Amino acid sequence: MPLIKRDPPAASPASTVSTSVSRRLASESTSERWAAARAMVQEPGAVPLLAEALRTEQAPEVREALFTTLIRIHSVESATALAFMIRSDDAQLRTGALDALGGLMDVARPLLPDLLADKDPDVRLLACELVRRVDPEDGTRLLCGMLESETEANVCGAAVGVLSDIADDSAISVLERCATRFASDPYLGFAFADAIERASTRLAPDE
Amino acid sequence: MSPGEFQQLCDFFYRRTGMIFTEAKRYYVERRVLERMGAIGVSTFAQYFARLRMDTDGEIEQVVNAFTVNETYFYREDHQFRCLTTDLLRQRVAVKAPAESIRIWSVPCSTGEEPYSIAMWLLENWPEVDNHDIELVGSDIDTRVLRDAQVGIYGKRALMRLTPDLVERFFDKEGEDAFRLVADVRDSVGFTRVNMVEPDATRAQGVFDVIFCRNMLIYFDEESRRLAAENLYECLKPGGFICLGHTESMSRISSLFEVRRFADAIVYQRPLEVGRG
Repeated sequence: MPLIKRDPPAASPASTVSTSVSRRLASESTSERWAAARAMVQEPGAVPLLAEALRTEQAPEVREALFTTLIRIHSVESATALAFMIRSDDAQLRTGALDALGGLMDVARPLLPDLLADKDPDVRLLACELVRRVDPEDGTRLLCGMLESETEANVCGAAVGVLSDIADDSAISVLERCATRFASDPYLGFAFADAIERASTRLAPDE
Repeated sequence: MSPGEFQQLCDFFYRRTGMIFTEAKRYYVERRVLERMGAIGVSTFAQYFARLRMDTDGEIEQVVNAFTVNETYFYREDHQFRCLTTDLLRQRVAVKAPAESIRIWSVPCSTGEEPYSIAMWLLENWPEVDNHDIELVGSDIDTRVLRDAQVGIYGKRALMRLTPDLVERFFDKEGEDAFRLVADVRDSVGFTRVNMVEPDATRAQGVFDVIFCRNMLIYFDEESRRLAAENLYECLKPGGFICLGHTESMSRISSLFEVRRFADAIVYQRPLEVGRG
């Protein structure tokens, strides 16, 4: 019988968070940085260090661990740090931050109004996707509020894409008004018509 | 159980295990809590929750055992076992030092059907089986199923996908609906308790060439799934493979693994570390 049974290896010592963690986070060794990123979940004051590390980290697995640790810290501070990364020119950092924010929407929800009103249209556009992660009624209110004054066609397109999936008939008047403002854009014309049609099949909760 | 009590219990359970229960599962949760309350003789939820928080007489382990789902059978999703012997082991053996053992992990292993199936499949279908030391480990969070796995007695239902010839050669009949796996195969699998959201517990298992982790991540929320994925990553040797259930996708959970498409299965691979620090 070639199959063998062996006791599992002895447990490695439990990770102890210490002052050396931040030094390990800057180590040249990928495995050291990975371990440090994971250990920081218990470190008070870890969020700024993790956010700073994310700005320079190139190893994909360490980035993943840094994001997961920010999710596990699960605080308004970690959500705020992630929201700031949505502005990054680094596409992987932006995408990772968006995914991570989606995982802690219970604490990130208060950040959405500011993100949807940000002066940078790219931030507003990306924030639309985050709205999928909140309650549909809440999400509909947030996006309708933004659409009333949104001037960027791409941002409206992103918002309408989300609204077509979540909105109820309370959104129809806003969608119709916004459609009028972009009447010359064939794509948006189609997107608004589709969202209105789909919203009309869903009744608002108080109806 | 009031809505507040239900939430309190779900929060406690989530923190301990990563498993998440919503209002949709209230009946399931209430039934099991009532069973536990009856078993230890308390009449109110407040009394029960106090015992749970204090872990009186190991109540946390008992309630975890009551909440886990353990329905499985031999040779379930055997296309992945075919992939194991056709492709995965060939690739792992190619990068191994001579005499280096092959480690395979089945987690969660429930009552042992999966790790024992792997053992049987290897003996039946891998011509190289005699040339290597193969270490099989089965792990679960539920200590009750681990005890059953070590005993190795199964009903007809668990054997439904095995041919009569396999049943004849690998099991001894012990009653009308009881078949005991032969000792050689039982002894080839080591069983350990593990909570997949506790990094120190998963690290203690060592590193593996292939991990079967089927139909577990679906019970976790996003945060716990990411944590479990990182723990699995740590438990894989570079170039090692992980097999998930057919409804699960690691790509939706984590970017740590590369998707590998083989003739018999789609699996996930920890990238080889080439020129890394």
